[in-house]
Amino acid sequence: MQTRFLALLLVLPALIVIVLFFIVPLFASILGAFEVGDSFGLGNFSKSFDLYSRDMIFTVVIVSISTVLIGLLSIAIGGYLTLGENPRSVAILRWLYRWPMFIPFIVVGQVLRTFLAKNGLMNNILVSLGILTPLQTTGFLDWRGIVIAFVWKQTPFVTLLVAGAMASLDRSTIEAARNLGASRLRILIEIVVPQISGTLLVGLILSFVTMMSVLSVPLMINAQSPTMLTADIAFRINAHGDYGVANALGVISLLLTAGVALIYLRQTMKDRL
Amino acid sequence: MRPFLSVETMSVGYGTTTVLDKLDLGIHKGEFVALLGSSGCGKTTLLRTIAGFTKPYSGSIRVADRDVTQMPPDKRGMALVFQSYALWPHMTVAQNIGYGLKLQRQSRENIDARVNEMQNLLGLAGLGDRKPGQLSGGQRQRVALGRALAIDPEILLLDEPLSNLDARIRLTVRHEIRSLQKRLGITAIHVTHDREEAMVMADRIIIMNAGRIEQEGSPEDVYNKPASPFVAAFMGAENLLSMQARVHGEQVELMEGSFNPSIVTALAGRTLATGPIELRFRAEAARLARSEDKTVLQPGTLELRGQVTSVSYPGGHWRHAIRLGENEILVDADTPFNQGETVRVCIPAKSLFMFNLVEGLADARSD
Repeated sequence: MQTRFLALLLVLPALIVIVLFFIVPLFASILGAFEVGDSFGLGNFSKSFDLYSRDMIFTVVIVSISTVLIGLLSIAIGGYLTLGENPRSVAILRWLYRWPMFIPFIVVGQVLRTFLAKNGLMNNILVSLGILTPLQTTGFLDWRGIVIAFVWKQTPFVTLLVAGAMASLDRSTIEAARNLGASRLRILIEIVVPQISGTLLVGLILSFVTMMSVLSVPLMINAQSPTMLTADIAFRINAHGDYGVANALGVISLLLTAGVALIYLRQTMKDRL
Repeated sequence: MRPFLSVETMSVGYGTTTVLDKLDLGIHKGEFVALLGSSGCGKTTLLRTIAGFTKPYSGSIRVADRDVTQMPPDKRGMALVFQSYALWPHMTVAQNIGYGLKLQRQSRENIDARVNEMQNLLGLAGLGDRKPGQLSGGQRQRVALGRALAIDPEILLLDEPLSNLDARIRLTVRHEIRSLQKRLGITAIHVTHDREEAMVMADRIIIMNAGRIEQEGSPEDVYNKPASPFVAAFMGAENLLSMQARVHGEQVELMEGSFNPSIVTALAGRTLATGPIELRFRAEAARLARSEDKTVLQPGTLELRGQVTSVSYPGGHWRHAIRLGENEILVDADTPFNQGETVRVCIPAKSLFMFNLVEGLADARSD
């Protein structure tokens, strides 16, 4: 009896922190989503869908496209790190690819804003190289800018996980395929990626959830309509003091990420069976 | 007759360390050759270089008069079975075996037929839909073998394929691989550190030490006529004594020492010069007798006197540790002798392996 009490005592500080700073605020904001005036109802949700259904689709599409691109790029980089035969270029790539991980989202947004604008650095370079004329230039400060920012920032993180998993593969599984005549691309697609698919999935889901919650990038790059849900939530609170709709939008993004988390859980359960 | 596979003055290494230095090797068609040596002797490096996974610094590798030195692994007509089996865990048994054929763009019917044939040949029938994770060690080993054999290679390379199996299965798999190799008439190179495994499976054994070939020959040859102290020790002649020898024509005289009277025996093909020698023999080659036993020995039999320090029973016979001054030797006998008893150790001339001591090498080789 005493040991049970002691065990409870040991867990208590952690439990208090979780309840106080995580569960209570979460439930408060979920409850808040259903508060309309003095009563409960779905008013905030219907208002959210009326005002922001385009932004919801916009958010899901942008984050999904980014996730797919991050997956492809991280497989390509990780694959080259694992299967590349030129030691020097492998070393250079290994040194280079991690840098964006250490740059905050807000700085990424700022850097890309000056780089991708209609009169930004990228177009200036293209014009001075004679590839474009000043009249042909377009700014990328719309959904494409957000995707570029997300991919640029999140690819190193997923690559880090993927390359680590690839490095710890039994190398002889790769050599066995080479022995039978598989090209490097086939080895990557048919031998390496299937063996690290679990790690890739985890990395992509964590990235998906991270991107769903980034406010600074949409604010910096694309604050006009349509924009991402995070910008809308900030706008509801800062401009209107409308916590009800903000909470409803929060619950909606929570449901979206929960859907992805469910895929993750099902995958890990399948792996264990 | 020119060898089917030949390695000519090949040097291989990693970075600045040279593992194999100007090595020559020839293997005939249909031969089963074992590369035998302790870990770090370069046997796996040799196999991987033949397979094409490691590029040699210099020298060449030829298969049936084709120079394959610069060819990628899949163009050499060889298939490697890895120590860890290296099966692809996300593919079924049938997909693992058929992958090489799929890469060759063979038709689906061909692949299915060949996969079936392999499964039947290796006793894997009915397991085609399983994943490697659901198989036992022996079954995985056979899938790895099937995957290598499915592409019908001219040369089968085996990198310690039995070292991950438990002892009992290993004994049966040895014979399975050997009889399969005979049936298919395939040329095989088998890397192992297990002496008995090499003896049982191979037509010819190549004993390697520190990147060099110490001796090659049939199992009987390397066992009964070791060409160097290393080979003698590796083939089980662990008992080591230092003696003085004097060579007269075709006879060699072992001088009297503190524990033995002098004997004279025929050189019988040994290359020896007068001087200090190291003498090696196997525990089972010697016979033990009580000190009062006055049986007349065959001429040339070396007799040693020592004290039994311990007796153990490893199975089949009794093993005695016998002290001769500083040295201790192991001798087997059918009946146990008492601890502390003074005994005569009789070793017939043909079981004595004698080598001249080479300055500076004596210490290095005594391990």
